[in-house]
Amino acid sequence: MGLIGAGLMLVGLFFLVVAAIGMVRLPDVFSRSHAVALTDSLGALFLLAGLAVEHGFSPNALRILVVLALLYILNPVISHATVRAALRSGMKPWRRENG
Amino acid sequence: MSALLAATLPHRTLALFVLWLLLSESYNLLHMAVGLAAAFAVALLNTDRLTSAAYRIHWLRLAAYLPWLLWRIFLSGVHLSFLILHPRMPIDPIMIRHRTQLSNKNAVVLLGNSVTLTPGTLTVEANPDEVLVHAMDEYSAQDVKTLRLDRKIANLFKRTEARG
Repeated sequence: MGLIGAGLMLVGLFFLVVAAIGMVRLPDVFSRSHAVALTDSLGALFLLAGLAVEHGFSPNALRILVVLALLYILNPVISHATVRAALRSGMKPWRRENG
Repeated sequence: MSALLAATLPHRTLALFVLWLLLSESYNLLHMAVGLAAAFAVALLNTDRLTSAAYRIHWLRLAAYLPWLLWRIFLSGVHLSFLILHPRMPIDPIMIRHRTQLSNKNAVVLLGNSVTLTPGTLTVEANPDEVLVHAMDEYSAQDVKTLRLDRKIANLFKRTEARG
């Protein structure tokens, strides 16, 4: 049980590190938002899944699943609001040709 | 208050109250009374959001859709990680003007949400008939471009007898 939980959390950590690297390397606000979305969709998923496995079948595990469900509903809304605001305030998405 | 609204209010209150009980873990009278009042207030405040009663969601099909979406999220996440870690970072971002065939707002919201959840694609603008999607490269864009996601989501909604 402990090993599976730790393994899941390590996978989550891997995606968090990749997302942080992406934040630095990617060229503009749009592509960087993809990296931020990665922290939620896979980083948080594996971290919280690992925590839930650690807790076993308990109210706490159920609560973690509720948090995960809320994250999956709310985070896309935040990413969407960010990039929409960026586009509307005149930012041009980075393209390979003119980059 | 319409009849439909009055009919769904108890359900919503109950669902929110169950969520409260799950999160609070203190089952004395005071806490539960506060929870019930809060659940009712939230259900009441959100009543005007019940707009499109003409379309109902297929819960069983939704339950089948979510694991599929999760799998796509995982694959796209691995692909995006590859793009980020690759020394030359072979990204080729594109904007896709996607005309959607989905005819109700809830379905478009679900489409926009699914697109943004999937790493490598982001919903930039969402209108009832058109969605603007930013994608990292051709591979990321395929589910949107081939209308695969559209078809999956259209399948989740069933038309009921029109009444609102």
